[in-house]
Amino acid sequence: MSSRLTDIQNILGVQGIITCFSGRFSQGLIEEIGEAVKKHMEAEDKPKNDIYNVFSIFVEQSQNVKNYVISKEGSPKCNRIASSAIICIGKDETGYFIWSGNIVENKDVAPLHAKLSTVVGSSKEELKKLYKEQMKKDPEPGQLGAGVGLIDIARRVSLPIEFSFEKVDEEFSFYEIKVSV
Amino acid sequence: MEPFIVEQTKSTPLVAFNAESRMLIIKGQSYPENSFKFYEPILQWLDDFFTMDRDDRLISLEVSLPYINTSSSKCMLMLLEKFEEAKEDGKNIVVNWYYDQDNESELECAEDFKEFVELKFNLIAMQGE
Repeated sequence: MSSRLTDIQNILGVQGIITCFSGRFSQGLIEEIGEAVKKHMEAEDKPKNDIYNVFSIFVEQSQNVKNYVISKEGSPKCNRIASSAIICIGKDETGYFIWSGNIVENKDVAPLHAKLSTVVGSSKEELKKLYKEQMKKDPEPGQLGAGVGLIDIARRVSLPIEFSFEKVDEEFSFYEIKVSV
Repeated sequence: MEPFIVEQTKSTPLVAFNAESRMLIIKGQSYPENSFKFYEPILQWLDDFFTMDRDDRLISLEVSLPYINTSSSKCMLMLLEKFEEAKEDGKNIVVNWYYDQDNESELECAEDFKEFVELKFNLIAMQGE
């Protein structure tokens, strides 16, 4: 065999990745991976607060990806977006991180970039204010989330959120976000 | 009125209302695939209950959410707002919100909710497992 699974495992190991899922995922998978990470951290006697934050960011990030896929249902692009998703949870010298990516339509890059920039540039106090303002808004028909996922994530981070967009082709860019707890 | 009960799953809490004790219990993690779909019948049931209820005895909302995602938080806020409206209509209401004393994030989440509404709102520390 020209390529081996051990090579993939080595790459994951170098990056400090504990668990990783690549491909189309479901609510059931989010629940299983989330519980597994919780158990892993409990076994290492991590503070409850850290476990809560890692679990919470993992759920918000993966549900954000999922909701993005659902928002594209009925479009021929939906399949490609759904199968492009990858989510990893790992640990490095600064602590735990949740690192995820998926392709997004090029037309969605600017609004998402603006949202991320606002969140990254805000203090914890400002984030709390943003969270409250957004929570009080009436949900729009068909809305899946509260629209505060990224704000909630930013309230829990220990280091600034890292994100990037890389153009794949005329239709899509690859979006990735890495959050450290 | 018929008692209301929704059994707990991995990502949805137990929701139970007993008309005799006048307690609405919400207990467990909440991060369903579609929070609005999960909470909609509960909110609907509450509307019906408050419309029909002629009793002036205390109604208590007993909440213990070891984890709640943001879309469930939105629904929980809508639920608290229903209690707030009922209070404005003269109902006697108390919220007892339980949190793990070893988990600062759980307390912060509870405090956020307390700040959102004008209700008698007790934050109760629990000994973790």
